[in-house]
Amino acid sequence: MITTILLMAAITFGSRYLFLHRALPFRVGAKMQRFLSFSAPAVLTAIWVPIVVLPGNQWQLSYQNPYLVAALVAIITAYKSHSIYATTLLSMAVFFALR
Amino acid sequence: MSKSTHIKRGTKLQQKAFIKGQLDMMPLNLAVLPWGLLCGSLAMQNGFTLIEAQLMSLLVFAGSAQLVAIELIANDTPLLTIAITTFIISSRHFLYGLAIRQKVIAQPLRWRLPVSFVLTDELFAFSHHPKAYQTKARLIYALSAGFSFYVAWNIWTLLGIVAGQLLPDLTNLGLDFAIATTFIALVIPAIKNWATLACVLASGISAAVLKSWQVELWLVFSALIGMSVGYVLSRGRVR
Repeated sequence: MITTILLMAAITFGSRYLFLHRALPFRVGAKMQRFLSFSAPAVLTAIWVPIVVLPGNQWQLSYQNPYLVAALVAIITAYKSHSIYATTLLSMAVFFALR
Repeated sequence: MSKSTHIKRGTKLQQKAFIKGQLDMMPLNLAVLPWGLLCGSLAMQNGFTLIEAQLMSLLVFAGSAQLVAIELIANDTPLLTIAITTFIISSRHFLYGLAIRQKVIAQPLRWRLPVSFVLTDELFAFSHHPKAYQTKARLIYALSAGFSFYVAWNIWTLLGIVAGQLLPDLTNLGLDFAIATTFIALVIPAIKNWATLACVLASGISAAVLKSWQVELWLVFSALIGMSVGYVLSRGRVR
């Protein structure tokens, strides 16, 4: 068990450290940097969208899906308020009210 | 200005950076509570000892990889399969390292090591300031945020370990919505032009489709699709 945990730790840390290693002989050029500037919105969205539209790994594009409705509330609140607290609190309230 | 007032100013700035890091990460620390609890209690249900369950969060510090691995370990999956699965789930981190490389690479190893240790999805979400990681205050900000998330993750895991049996079945409560809404709150205000909007739409749609097709690398593939769309649409535009 400990071996498994250490191996996993090495893989996870390796994946996080690799490109911060100086001996890797390359520079991220301007074009590459522009490509990478989209990585945060792209990855974060790729994480939250499936949670919302595929709860339990099933497509649920319906107003009866509390994840979807509450996510729409979150999107509108985030757009209007730019506040992480307003967005999360309001949408969580809607989510639990609908469940 | 005398040297000592310079130093005082610097210290003040670093204290501010530390506090801001703690405050900015706080909502995310709360949002992962259900996942941390789940990691702790699931490990115990599947025959981990207390030490093993906690060590996993202390050393691996990667929620989705941990949850999947606990199931695999419980099913006596071969070590190689666990390693490959962990690698696939962790592969998005390559993207994070690449994205912050030019900002961090000039820093000495004693800064780069802790930064990479806490380079989670959550910290990466706070890494986009053009000057991120490039001043002492900004490094302290990042490490403060990153390690506050580490501490929270481990406290939630411990809570799951010791109180897992007392808690209701977490898997059916829909608590995964907490992380979805926090990410929405981080992404939506960052959409400031059509290229980013298109990037987000492309990545979200392809993530749902690829995941529903059970493509192993759905997360990385959909992120790359979104980034490509954003890149193409932003070409020729002055940054």
